[in-house]
Amino acid sequence: MKTVYVGMSGGVDSSLSAALLKEQGYHVVGVYMKNWSRDLPGMKCPWAEDLADAKRVAVKLGIDFKVFDFETEYKQKVVDYMLAEFEKGHTPNPDIMCNQEIKFKLFYETAMEDGADLIATGHYARTDGKNLLKAVDENKDQTYFLYRISEDAIAHTIFPVGGMLKPDVKKLAAKKGLDNAYKKESMGVCFVGEVGMEDFLKQYFEEKAGDIIDAETGEKLGVHNGAIFYAIGQRHGLNLGGGLPYYVVRKDVSKNIVYVSRNLNSKDLWTDELELEDIILRENNGGLQVRLRHRAELIPAVLEGSKLKFEKPVKRPASGQSAVFYVGDICIGGGIIV
Amino acid sequence: MIFLDYASATPVSKTAKTAMEPYFSEKFFNPSAPYLAAKRAREDYEKAKANLAHTIGAKADDLIITSGATEANKLAFSAATGEVLILATEHASIIENSKKYPTKIIKVDKTGLIDLADFKQKLTKETTFVSIALANNELGTIQPLAEVAEIIRKERENRLIKGNPLPLIFHSDASQAMSLVPISVARLGVDLLTINSAKVYGPKGVGALYQGHQVKLQPITEGGGQEKGLRSGTENVPGLVGFAAAAVEAKEHQNGARKHYKQLVKILKDELEKSKIEPIFLGNKKHQLANFCPVCFPGVDAERVIYRLEEDEIYLSTGAACAASKGEKSHVLKAIGLTDEEIAGSLRISLGKDNTEEDMKFAGQKIVAAVEKELQFSK
Repeated sequence: MKTVYVGMSGGVDSSLSAALLKEQGYHVVGVYMKNWSRDLPGMKCPWAEDLADAKRVAVKLGIDFKVFDFETEYKQKVVDYMLAEFEKGHTPNPDIMCNQEIKFKLFYETAMEDGADLIATGHYARTDGKNLLKAVDENKDQTYFLYRISEDAIAHTIFPVGGMLKPDVKKLAAKKGLDNAYKKESMGVCFVGEVGMEDFLKQYFEEKAGDIIDAETGEKLGVHNGAIFYAIGQRHGLNLGGGLPYYVVRKDVSKNIVYVSRNLNSKDLWTDELELEDIILRENNGGLQVRLRHRAELIPAVLEGSKLKFEKPVKRPASGQSAVFYVGDICIGGGIIV
Repeated sequence: MIFLDYASATPVSKTAKTAMEPYFSEKFFNPSAPYLAAKRAREDYEKAKANLAHTIGAKADDLIITSGATEANKLAFSAATGEVLILATEHASIIENSKKYPTKIIKVDKTGLIDLADFKQKLTKETTFVSIALANNELGTIQPLAEVAEIIRKERENRLIKGNPLPLIFHSDASQAMSLVPISVARLGVDLLTINSAKVYGPKGVGALYQGHQVKLQPITEGGGQEKGLRSGTENVPGLVGFAAAAVEAKEHQNGARKHYKQLVKILKDELEKSKIEPIFLGNKKHQLANFCPVCFPGVDAERVIYRLEEDEIYLSTGAACAASKGEKSHVLKAIGLTDEEIAGSLRISLGKDNTEEDMKFAGQKIVAAVEKELQFSK
């Protein structure tokens, strides 16, 4: 009997995953990864309740249950990375880093050392034992966040709900009495979810007044509280009064300037090529399609060295975000936008 | 369902519910409004306050109605002007409030009872505020408050003689004790006393602070000047009416209830003891709330036991609900010297009105079965 360590968050996807694996005859060990427990102003970190929910499901299923404490590593590999990137003026994606460094590296390695043959998570994705594949539920597909996980991890991971549609997952979980189906889904970075990234960043960076400048005319329009807190494409929270909205089109973190525009066709907002770094490419036999945001449409593109070229201009993602590559259903890799 | 967590919540009694009902709709008036109908609501409110006050041997004017015990505790702490003494087993709301002052922690013994020698030693001419719960919310240990009050009285006497004008205030949180312990503020010798509707079969979201005549408090909210200007805000008429009705009812049945719970706890303990799971009962046998049965099974994960019992619709807890949701180990069980393993294996069982002898037998058997399963599991 093969032993599977399944990451359990207390949510419906991972709970059902554990239940299905047990039915399939695996020896299942549930693991709660304790990555973050600090409360933030205005938000109580729900880790203890999540842990209790995960444990309750494990007891109900009659499976072993463990807690892996990754708080130190999570802080170093995910939070510190994220803060350093913001400091450089980038807009990093901590979920991608969390999957690469914590869930599919540290958890994977720790589980293997502890006696696992395989690991499993409640992500919406699939594997064929070698490749990472899009989930059957296109709407829930999470491969955008998983493209950087190692081939070794892919080969040893099961995604039990990756072949299912989310509504069916909910129904089946309810039928099995995994009544955490009421729980709201963890979205994005769990600990920032409720307070928002800006409030989280304010814990680490001081607010500092800087100019908001019209990218087209060079005119000073107002004052912001720190370029670090703004993302390209953002149009809320600029405090520029009514009328047509302004979009953040550029920012200069070293001079603390945010450039905005009302012109949706502003050349800063669009591009027909993107420079990438830290590219991961598991194979590339042509027919490349690219996803620039989670759940965004797939766009045909050509990869030339570190340059990604598009037939038609695309809305420019913030630097630090990822461009993820697909050929058919296979997620073949991706890179970080410079 | 067998509910065994009455220390965390009590269902609203029929009497309380019926008493409250009219004040949600037909008598919804703001008691401060000028017309007669509103004046009547004011009268009812004051009457309820007097009835509630009477259950602790006080007068209506002595009470400040709050949104619960936590708020009453915060208001109580506004009487502190410097060094504070609290018991090691106090509720989180007391601990958090004490952090704003230089604080000394009074030790307890292995049963959760105050170490009076330690208290005497820590009570100095600098002390301004002492807070000791009448009964602990995890162990049910009842403290000898009158003895504490006597020590405090002597210290005050000393201060008078020496011309030390520093006030020394004695506060007690009686939330957990109120339904089963006869309370008289005079006999307890307290200056401030917190009580809580949610623990005596009244509605949640209502509490009160008894304020002795010499005690100066600072307003916790400002505005319309309600509750002697200490807690402004439109009066919660249905809440107080329900609280008062529940408190009066609880007081009437106190003697019978104590005997009844002792019998039920005995049945439960017998069930646990005749098995092989070797329960260790916690708290003080002599000075314990009659409805409390805290118990420890070393080597067992008590949380897992709770989830197993959930399947049989038996509900109990590991410790204070608020500490559990923060993922913290019980500071109360730590204070009585339990090891981490013992804390992890501890259950708080607290009985209430709806429990029967059959319930106790059934729950006892189910607890034994769940603990046995866990003992096998952990091997």
